[in-house]
Amino acid sequence: MEKSIENIWKEGFLKSDALVAPKINNLYNQKSIHVIDKFKSMFKINLIAIIAFSFIFLIISFFAGIPITGVIFFVTLAVLVFINKKLLNNLAKIDLGASSYQYLKAFNQWKNKQIAINIKISRFLYPIIFLSMILGFWFKDAEGMPLGERLVNEVLKGFPDIYLIYGIPVVGIVIALLILVLLAFFGDRIYKWDLNIVYGRVFKKLEELMTDIENLRS
Amino acid sequence: MSSDFYKTSILPFAGIIIKLCRAYTNSQEDFDDYYQEVCLQIWRSKDNFREESQWSTWVYRISLNVCLTLLKKNKKKDQYFVSDSLPIEETEENYAFSNEALNLLYDAIRKLSEIDRAIIMLYLEEKSQKEIAEIIGTNPNNIGVRVKRIKIRLKKILDGKIN
Repeated sequence: MEKSIENIWKEGFLKSDALVAPKINNLYNQKSIHVIDKFKSMFKINLIAIIAFSFIFLIISFFAGIPITGVIFFVTLAVLVFINKKLLNNLAKIDLGASSYQYLKAFNQWKNKQIAINIKISRFLYPIIFLSMILGFWFKDAEGMPLGERLVNEVLKGFPDIYLIYGIPVVGIVIALLILVLLAFFGDRIYKWDLNIVYGRVFKKLEELMTDIENLRS
Repeated sequence: MSSDFYKTSILPFAGIIIKLCRAYTNSQEDFDDYYQEVCLQIWRSKDNFREESQWSTWVYRISLNVCLTLLKKNKKKDQYFVSDSLPIEETEENYAFSNEALNLLYDAIRKLSEIDRAIIMLYLEEKSQKEIAEIIGTNPNNIGVRVKRIKIRLKKILDGKIN
């Protein structure tokens, strides 16, 4: 006689050893594969790396004679770390014991907020870093005068008719502005690309799950 | 995690975790990882349990939510489940049949979408439509219809396999 799936289920577990729990050793010290734990550890590692890098760069910048770059770098990255640390704290509030819909929705909302904020930041971050490097090298001491002025003097020797605004060649300003605009424009794409490589699969899965539950709710 | 907590609060409900984890994994290795992760997350979340529901329902929720959002890539081709297949000399006719049927049922369940897997697992565990809706966070009225559809789909998959 053909068995119903209910009977297959009941009999399968009654008559077999299918419910023997696997042995677990040293559970708490094992590496978590859960998405929230992964996010937390990735965030923490990133934040520590950013802090360490910005601090080391700040010291190096003073020795290299580009303290402006170092200070701007340090302040910008400190703001980035502060914002992301706040986001990380919100991640811990997600209740794993909530219904699947509430849980996935909370995680999705956190993820979207985190991405949206970091996209906004990255639109400013890359241009600010570029600008800090220009300013740092412009004001770097070059035998008693700023490197930028020395560079302009050298350019003027070759091109005496070049047009200047506040002592800076217009061509240089245009090129710098162009790079700033490109960095601002592509900043979000760079961030998204980076994020997609690491978490693209999980985000896709999350969207599919949300769509499925929302269809069921409607 | 203290072994006391595992013994008193997780092990009595290991059946729930085992059944769910198995529906979301294709290999013994992945299953072991999922099981461990669920136990770990139950332990980590234990302070959030507010006794608004039964502990078993709460274990269901955690197990399901963890299985839905784990990062490990399923290994589809190696190390298929073998735990239900006892050596031929140790099996009785009925025993072997029921295990094989359970394996086929699990294979069919794994072909469903992740939410459908959750629904049918809860249904097979004799949870009411209201409980299923509460665990998943959806409308109880739609659960009955969805269960019927899933059962039809499972039957088709099973018929295809058996025939």
